[in-house]
Amino acid sequence: MRVDIGARTDVGRVRSNNEDSYRVVPALNLFVLSDGMGGKAHGEAASAIAVETVAAHCLQAAHNVHPPFFSKPRPNFSEKTNRLASAVHWANRKIHLDAARNPRRRGMGATVLAAWIDGEHLSLVHVGDSRAYLLRAGALEQLTADHSLAAERARRGYLTYQQAETSALQSVLLRALGTNEEVEVDAGEHLLLDGDAVLLCTDGLTRMVPRHEIASTLITCPSAQAAADRLVALASDHGGRDNVTVLVLFIEMGGDSALGRLRRWFRGSSRPPDATFSAGDP
Amino acid sequence: MARLILKFDAAVLQEVPIGARPVSIGRAPDNDIPVDNLAVSNYHARVYAEAGQLMVEDLNSLNGTFLNNKRVERAAIRSGDAILIGKHQILVDEEHDAALPLDAGRKVAAPIVNETVMLQTKQRRELLQQAAAAGESSQFAPARGRVASLIVLRGKTDQKDYPLSSRLTVIGKSEMATVRLRGWFAPQVAAQISKREDGYYLGLTNRVPRVNGKRISGPTRLNDGDLIEAGGVELMFLYRD
Repeated sequence: MRVDIGARTDVGRVRSNNEDSYRVVPALNLFVLSDGMGGKAHGEAASAIAVETVAAHCLQAAHNVHPPFFSKPRPNFSEKTNRLASAVHWANRKIHLDAARNPRRRGMGATVLAAWIDGEHLSLVHVGDSRAYLLRAGALEQLTADHSLAAERARRGYLTYQQAETSALQSVLLRALGTNEEVEVDAGEHLLLDGDAVLLCTDGLTRMVPRHEIASTLITCPSAQAAADRLVALASDHGGRDNVTVLVLFIEMGGDSALGRLRRWFRGSSRPPDATFSAGDP
Repeated sequence: MARLILKFDAAVLQEVPIGARPVSIGRAPDNDIPVDNLAVSNYHARVYAEAGQLMVEDLNSLNGTFLNNKRVERAAIRSGDAILIGKHQILVDEEHDAALPLDAGRKVAAPIVNETVMLQTKQRRELLQQAAAAGESSQFAPARGRVASLIVLRGKTDQKDYPLSSRLTVIGKSEMATVRLRGWFAPQVAAQISKREDGYYLGLTNRVPRVNGKRISGPTRLNDGDLIEAGGVELMFLYRD
């Protein structure tokens, strides 16, 4: 199994600072992004705490440090899914504590979306309105449900889903990291197949770029990085009103045979196993 | 042109330009600014221009119209004033033209993206209760969020029926599949069903399943009672109450 990774974040055309953060840990196939809120530099601080905390907690778990679980593991989920949920609970507490200690940062918060891929298993956890999509056999399916007022009202039948996608109530989050001492975390597990593409993104993409354009970009781009670059460019073309972050993961199964390794070697696209990179790196 | 900005807390819900016609505010949906809150009367207030002066007028509302926290029947308003109706605030902005950077002249197809705000528990409960109250009377409400099931009619599987509660249900031999096929020649993945906001869809994988005997060509919306054939099993899609 191999994951071709594309990552890109952009401030957009209207905002002056980028409150999004992301972190990719290729050695674990762990991917985290976060959209901060709270104005000034505080949104940035919140999203940075979110992605760093989630990555650090999972790295510790993967290296047998056995950090405590910050949420009760659920027996129907895999260890990695439970670990991710725990990491998100821990990130919530850290942001909440940070805001409590710095009165100027009060009210800061962040969304979080984290994916951990282990062979054909995809673990996914999220809080807020950052979204995960799966492209399979040419069809794009949303894997996460937004925790926004617009989405909640659509679920309750008050808005149609088309209305919800353009509603100003999308800006009102029902759940976010850091705003309360405890947070409810959504977790899910999915089976991955050869040829799947997984997209993780902040609302700066989904509110700017129509779904069919997202799907066609994922289908036509030759590499995950090309797709990530193209999606960010599309968000800008459509107005770029918000920060945008996209992580694109192309899944290739059955590549662990000698032949698969040889093919990859010829393509020359492997990364050093311990490297991590994030928004600030060149 | 001047405009009115409807806000709930920090969230901007709507912006309405003030033209020659009066701008009506109220709970009824045909108002220019519909405010979905039980504390707001059906036709609560209106804003209009009179001899170049903007005015706000209360239309005998039950709970009153407040201008900068004072109850008013009829009053002159200007830029920077805040009108309070129920718990919603309406801001008056007369210098609207100056505040159109970057996108001036460009058609804005996407919605206005505002600063994201987080609702605290009490407001959240209130807004959701209103939404629920309104949702119950809506014709869409009963069809939403219903969980469907798959009933196995023919073929070897690990159970006889499956509730479709997750967003993506995979049918196949894989140990991660929800509907696990048992036969020797069963494919790892035969089909998938995604739960979208407006219903359930049967999708392709690298296999092509059939619905009511026909091969599907892409994600196909499932209706109550549809017959699905995939990976050598036959399943019925049913909504259960």
